[in-house]
Amino acid sequence: MQTNKLTKVYGKTFKAVDNLDLTVNKGEIVGFLGQNGAGKTTTLLMLTGLSVPTSGTANVAGYDIIKDSRNIRKIAGLLPEGAGYYEDMTARQNLCYICQLNDVPRLEVEGRVKELLEAVGLTQWANQKVEKFSRGMKQRLGIAEVLVKKPKIAFFDEPTIGLDPKGTKEVRELLIKLNKEQGLTILLSSHLLHEIQQTCQKVSIIRKGHLIASDTIENLSSTLGGEETSTIEFELTETPTDLLSEIQSIDGISSVNLENGKLYVSMDKNVARDVSETITKHKSTILLMKPRERSLEEIFLKYYEKEGD
Amino acid sequence: MANFMTVFQKELADHFGSKRFLILFALVIILSTISAYQGAMALKESFSANSGMTFIRAMSNRSFLAIFSGYFGSGFTFTTLLMYFGPIIGLALGFDAVSKERSSGSLSVLLSQPIFRDSVINGKFLAGITAIGLMVVSTVGIMVGLAIPIVGFGPTFDETMRIVVFSLLTVLYMGFWLALSILFSTAFKKTTTSILAIISTFLFCMFVISIVAGLVSEALVSVPDYPSFVSTPGGSSYRPNQAAMQAYNDAQQRQSALRIGIMSISPNFLFQDVSQFLFTGTHTYGSYSSSGSMTPSTDMLQCWPQFTAIAVAMVVCFAAAYMLFLRREIRPGG
Repeated sequence: MQTNKLTKVYGKTFKAVDNLDLTVNKGEIVGFLGQNGAGKTTTLLMLTGLSVPTSGTANVAGYDIIKDSRNIRKIAGLLPEGAGYYEDMTARQNLCYICQLNDVPRLEVEGRVKELLEAVGLTQWANQKVEKFSRGMKQRLGIAEVLVKKPKIAFFDEPTIGLDPKGTKEVRELLIKLNKEQGLTILLSSHLLHEIQQTCQKVSIIRKGHLIASDTIENLSSTLGGEETSTIEFELTETPTDLLSEIQSIDGISSVNLENGKLYVSMDKNVARDVSETITKHKSTILLMKPRERSLEEIFLKYYEKEGD
Repeated sequence: MANFMTVFQKELADHFGSKRFLILFALVIILSTISAYQGAMALKESFSANSGMTFIRAMSNRSFLAIFSGYFGSGFTFTTLLMYFGPIIGLALGFDAVSKERSSGSLSVLLSQPIFRDSVINGKFLAGITAIGLMVVSTVGIMVGLAIPIVGFGPTFDETMRIVVFSLLTVLYMGFWLALSILFSTAFKKTTTSILAIISTFLFCMFVISIVAGLVSEALVSVPDYPSFVSTPGGSSYRPNQAAMQAYNDAQQRQSALRIGIMSISPNFLFQDVSQFLFTGTHTYGSYSSSGSMTPSTDMLQCWPQFTAIAVAMVVCFAAAYMLFLRREIRPGG
């Protein structure tokens, strides 16, 4: 999937998406990050033909989003944020309706529905009206509806919003399973950055409708690394108070923090050797010493800071 | 086409499974059955008081239609019932057709499937029209079936044709309100705004229009005072001045024509006018009437403009809803 200077203007002046160049390769799970109003949902709607771009082009699996939007919807699934269902119908009826809209042969509908209900863990609630479903069950039904067409690519807009930790984990595992077992390409928009970090191989960060970064999390972190203070994580047998103050006094140390039994030492220049010697001098043993990994949240905020936010 | 049929079947099933539609359907059946019974009884009493059935059939070629029109002095009539209930049924079927799906978020899910967008609006409208058609045909069928054993005779071919034309007119009339409801449902994001707009339009067409028509016609065409009486040349009697009387009558006719013209923008008025004409041979304001020997085809020629106006109003409302729906940005939940 590739967009080329994709732009959407609402009214006369508001640019929801601004010259967006985004690429998602086959078989990838890509996290699509951005603040509220950054243009994530608008992008997903344009990619599935629900919204017409003001300018620019894009193609999904080789189909142009303007000329071939119906063909795109045959092979691409969308689970929009706040997706709704026919509440007075059962889960099975909802799925049968979606099957019919996707031209699934009549004889195959029953088998496909059964298979999907099993895949999302809704078999025992198949004949219950959707109005009685919890939020998590509805999300799982939404994922089943996306899978009805056996998509090559799926767009998920905040699929875990409002779910409890167990539901969130289930959805995350399901997406990873679909990617691994069926080779499903996924573009996942979410605000839950730790979820993205655990699910996606790559992230694309969008700000004011414009792509500001797109790469693997490791690469994005290392790109930021050269410009920032480095932090080393230590796990020690003992952490006496005077050890912390002595490390703090070393020239080149900017901060020393003890969190959850782990010592985090931030340094402006490489004085790791001096720190190690100080620790040994205090008769403490280093069990673990490694550069601290940045969380996706830190990376995301750093990129936004770089853009002036 | 396949997707259109899928949407159509789902919507039709929704209508016939919807409590509000079934309640209204039951109410219409009950009231129309009472109306048919009253009409049939009035007709029966009328021919027992007037030398039997032969006299009645000879007097009018529309006597059986009295079960719909209350021509023989029965209580409330089927046409009046439909004039009030038609808009309510149209409203019930269409007021949330699009807005509910939009606010619940199911519209974005639906449109993310490989269907043409017009299949959705076409399917919704045609399912509504089909539901209305089935309701009208079954109601009219029940009424006729109930009346035949009471009055002792069935409708003639001409009467049957008039019943068919009336049924078609009713479907168009209710179809207009359905199309208007779908239009408002597409135009307004909130279902409550949509329903208020439809109720306001209904009240305007039903009640306000006659007040407006009266005020405007009186303001634009002044009718002189009734002419004073002058003595005849012989002095034996008094009668109005001929020239003044002529001017008075002309002014009254002009004012009445203007009032009817203004009221004709209301589909309710047009429906009432055409249905009354079909069943009794006279227009609502009785300014002109057909002779008793007119055939259904000549009836159609007389009321063709009103008939067409209702059909055009329905088509225009649906076309507006269609265009609006196709152009509207779809956003989840809004």
